[in-house]
Amino acid sequence: MNIISNNNEKCDLALNALRNVIDPEIGLNIVDLGLVYQLDFDDEQQIVYCRMTLTTQFCPMGESITESAKSALQQCFLDCRIELNLSFEPVWNQSLISEEGKRFLNQ
Amino acid sequence: MIAQTTSNSPVANTSYKVVLPFYVYAAVAFLVATILLLSSTKAFHIHYFHPQLLAITHIMALGWGTMIILGASHQLIPVLIESGLYSNKLAYASFVLTGIGVPLLAYAFYTFDMGDPAKWGGRFVVIGILTYLINVAKSMARSKTENVHATFVFTATVWLFITVLLGLVQVYNFTAPLLQEDSLHYLALHAHSGILGWFLLLIIGVGSRLIPMFLISKYTNDRLLWLVYYLINISLLSFVMIFYFPSEKNLIFLPIAGVILSISLFVYYCYKAYQQRIRRQVDEQMKLSLLSIVMLLLPMLLLVAVVSFIINSDTENIVLINVYGFLIFFGWLTAIILGMTFKTLPFIVWNKVYHVQATQGQTPNPKDLFDDKIFKIMSIAFIAGLLLFVAGILAAIALMLQAGAILLLVTAILYNFNVLKVVFHKIPKL
Repeated sequence: MNIISNNNEKCDLALNALRNVIDPEIGLNIVDLGLVYQLDFDDEQQIVYCRMTLTTQFCPMGESITESAKSALQQCFLDCRIELNLSFEPVWNQSLISEEGKRFLNQ
Repeated sequence: MIAQTTSNSPVANTSYKVVLPFYVYAAVAFLVATILLLSSTKAFHIHYFHPQLLAITHIMALGWGTMIILGASHQLIPVLIESGLYSNKLAYASFVLTGIGVPLLAYAFYTFDMGDPAKWGGRFVVIGILTYLINVAKSMARSKTENVHATFVFTATVWLFITVLLGLVQVYNFTAPLLQEDSLHYLALHAHSGILGWFLLLIIGVGSRLIPMFLISKYTNDRLLWLVYYLINISLLSFVMIFYFPSEKNLIFLPIAGVILSISLFVYYCYKAYQQRIRRQVDEQMKLSLLSIVMLLLPMLLLVAVVSFIINSDTENIVLINVYGFLIFFGWLTAIILGMTFKTLPFIVWNKVYHVQATQGQTPNPKDLFDDKIFKIMSIAFIAGLLLFVAGILAAIALMLQAGAILLLVTAILYNFNVLKVVFHKIPKL
């Protein structure tokens, strides 16, 4: 799991918040599922940038997942504006699932 | 900071308002078909071209199988072609037109009135399917990507249109001689363009995308899928050729062998996807869907027996033909729908009810929207009912047929219960 970030400390906080967002079909959180690609923090303008993906571009759960991710980040960074961008480069694949996620799915 | 290849929001899904009516319609059609089955068991001893059996078959093929596939595909086509659905209005139109046509046709067959009810029923269905075909074609034209799954779906829809058009011509042929032979002569052509061209191509096209997706499997094999695609289409086209230009009788085994090979390859594809899955636990809905794929091999092997009988004795074995048709519509098709309904419908409703709420533990999972215990009982009733009914046809035992039909009616009641439970799900009050 290689998440790009310009602030490791805040990134850990954000990831902890995003671990509460569960993909309803798979039952796994979006961080371990490998949907989060990038988390950047603009301290001056108080903006949190999140670049993430979906398992498929037309994922029927897409809107729910992105709204939930936004809401989780907002609760974590109350004074910041959250900018969430969907990206399909690279396209999500199973190799992006974390070891923790693979263990969960192996149960 | 952030890469440029991004968008701010996911692409909108097809509205649930478009999709849900198809599911409810199909559930009711399944219930009606099983009620008619229970009241028509004696017809299974007579002939497959029997008014009651024709009515049940058309309710199963159009009201049950086709309606639910049309509904689900309006939701799934965007996933397959990676582009939005062209028109919700056309989707509504295909629902209304086909929805009016099916009961008219069923009534016409049941009473064997090939006048206005059959003609109007056929017309409505043909126009309904044409609107669906236009919607699929326009949606695909907007898509930037071309893939094997979408090609399967489009070709299947073309075969469906050919099937219903031929069906309408057959209806007209009862009152005005449009065709060279009587309508019964063309039944095999009409039935197999629907069973193989529409149902088989569509189920393989969609299943080959959804099965690995639900299993979280690494397995993909587009080359194998293209091979399956060409095998089915070439087999069907050669069947049409042999039908119109019969020469050597044994040639008919070539398209049958092609279809059996293509189904075997798809079984292999599903097995590999299953083997290479990351998610170890497979839910009951997936198990039933996977079972249905293997179940298709059984009627296809039976088809070899049916055709061999015709070639060797120059007569039809009505019992084998009835078992064949029954296994297709009440076996294979019903099994995959019973399983896949609860892999798709709960998500559509969940999105409708909870899309504005965070998925942070406060909301139930989509699979919690239906009763899993009822689903398991339904699956057992279905398998037991199917086996009993088939045994009843083979052994010509009325009691077995009745018992099998009652179990299938129970299946339909439980299925309707769970479908309505999902459709009318509301946020629980705290």
